[in-house]
Amino acid sequence: MLSSIHDPQSQRYCAIGTALAVAIYSFLLAPIVVTVPMAFGPTNALSFPPTSYSLDLFTIFFNSPSWLGSLLESLKIALATTTVSMLAGVPAGYWIARHEFVGKGLVTIIIMSPLVIPTIVTGLGLYLYLSYLRLAGTTLSIVLGHVMVTVPYVVVMVIAGVNKLDRNLEFGAELMGAGPIRMFVTVVIPQLVPSLVSAAFFAFLLSFDEVIISWFLASPSTVTLPVKMYSALQWELSPVIAAVSTLMTGLSLLVCIVTIALKKSTPTDV
Amino acid sequence: MNQASSIRAQTIFMSPAVLVATLIVLPPLLYVFYTSVHGPVFSLAAYGEILTSTLFRQTLVTTLIIAGLSSFLSSILGFVVALHLARQSARRRAMLMLVVLLPFWTSILVKCFAFTIILGREGIINNVLSWIFNTKVELPLVLNLVGLLVGMTNFLVPLVVLPVLASLLAIDNALYRAASIMGAKPARIFWTVTLPLSLPGVFAALLSVFVMSLGAFVIPGLLGGPKDQMLSNLVDFYNREVLDWHKAAAISVVLFGIVFIAGGPLALWRRRKV
Repeated sequence: MLSSIHDPQSQRYCAIGTALAVAIYSFLLAPIVVTVPMAFGPTNALSFPPTSYSLDLFTIFFNSPSWLGSLLESLKIALATTTVSMLAGVPAGYWIARHEFVGKGLVTIIIMSPLVIPTIVTGLGLYLYLSYLRLAGTTLSIVLGHVMVTVPYVVVMVIAGVNKLDRNLEFGAELMGAGPIRMFVTVVIPQLVPSLVSAAFFAFLLSFDEVIISWFLASPSTVTLPVKMYSALQWELSPVIAAVSTLMTGLSLLVCIVTIALKKSTPTDV
Repeated sequence: MNQASSIRAQTIFMSPAVLVATLIVLPPLLYVFYTSVHGPVFSLAAYGEILTSTLFRQTLVTTLIIAGLSSFLSSILGFVVALHLARQSARRRAMLMLVVLLPFWTSILVKCFAFTIILGREGIINNVLSWIFNTKVELPLVLNLVGLLVGMTNFLVPLVVLPVLASLLAIDNALYRAASIMGAKPARIFWTVTLPLSLPGVFAALLSVFVMSLGAFVIPGLLGGPKDQMLSNLVDFYNREVLDWHKAAAISVVLFGIVFIAGGPLALWRRRKV
């Protein structure tokens, strides 16, 4: 936007700005740049850059019943959380975006509240509430806790997706005699596929990475990968954590790519 | 669509979410309030105890200071990045956005692990410094305020960049052209056009990351020292170590209150803008 100006002063400003920005980009990327090479390093010590390269750390990870168990527990919980939060969030997001109804404001505020309330508050609340229901420590309790966090994101993303749709197609379907459910399934859903896929991936990642709520609800039989990693980071710095980090980063990268590929036209959206 | 079928459709569409709201979202929040006032017999004893506790008061001050410092730092860094992104062509911007988005999606645990490796006594920075100065350097960069601020800033910068970039891109290009035709130098354009017009977006981002950092738990737990623990860590301490749920709940309510007070203006301001 300043391309028409070519005096030395403006170029100096640009150079300083670019240098600062590059430094900050490096700072942002540093955690990924450091952990990934270490995951392929030797098993005996954490050093950067690694002295030798191998897949040994991944072999240790996949041969350790406790690490593998927590990975499977996390995958199971994330899959269940995604399913439940899509079933609850997609129809609600559509209805909230398209209709006015009594109590809409209240329901929306309650559903959205976990977005702004500190997770520690909801985490403690879930622990107290689910203990009262004698559910604390079960896989179900963690899924319920995660659903609380993921549903608002699904609803927000569906509302954004619905707002971009051409409403005339829905009016057309209605004129042709389609009922609300048929119209939703045959007209709205097919157009919403990109939003739905990114919402599902996002919900999956949120649940897979969730630490605080799982930390409050976990029992020895329901240790998720982040909970295991959090306690491992508190007590010991095992090189295996580099492999765990790389697996988690790989999943983040996948979600990032899917989201960007689906929203190519608007790169500033999250 | 007649009224009856509309109500039936609304029930079908909304009931799963209403179930989630009434069975999963609302009860835990009510439970925190309920537990904080001592169960069956109403009592504010837990609040009295935490308010007279030095540990709580210190943690409260630490929480506000750390949230303030880290949101201030990340706003400055985020603004620089957003400014740089705004000046790129759409294609390059989309590519550079990846550099902001990938850390945004990266697990907070991965970041904490990485910064332990980077900042530790035997870490990358100390090793590089030792090599440069040819002597053993062991700067304490982690498990203290430095490590905590580095981790918090790294986490918050992408959250600043996205809204600030949107507000920078919303500035009409004609204003820049007009200013430069009238003879304004780039520095002057920055101070009289770019900065004033993007400042509301920066303040909104600052306030929202401040609210978000008030509830930090993982980063102070892993990168901060014993003196840098925040209210969330205190909640965990009372819940897990002391098993005093009344105090844990009372602290949660106080934290909730602070977030509510700090976030209230933000919500109002956003609503007016829409």
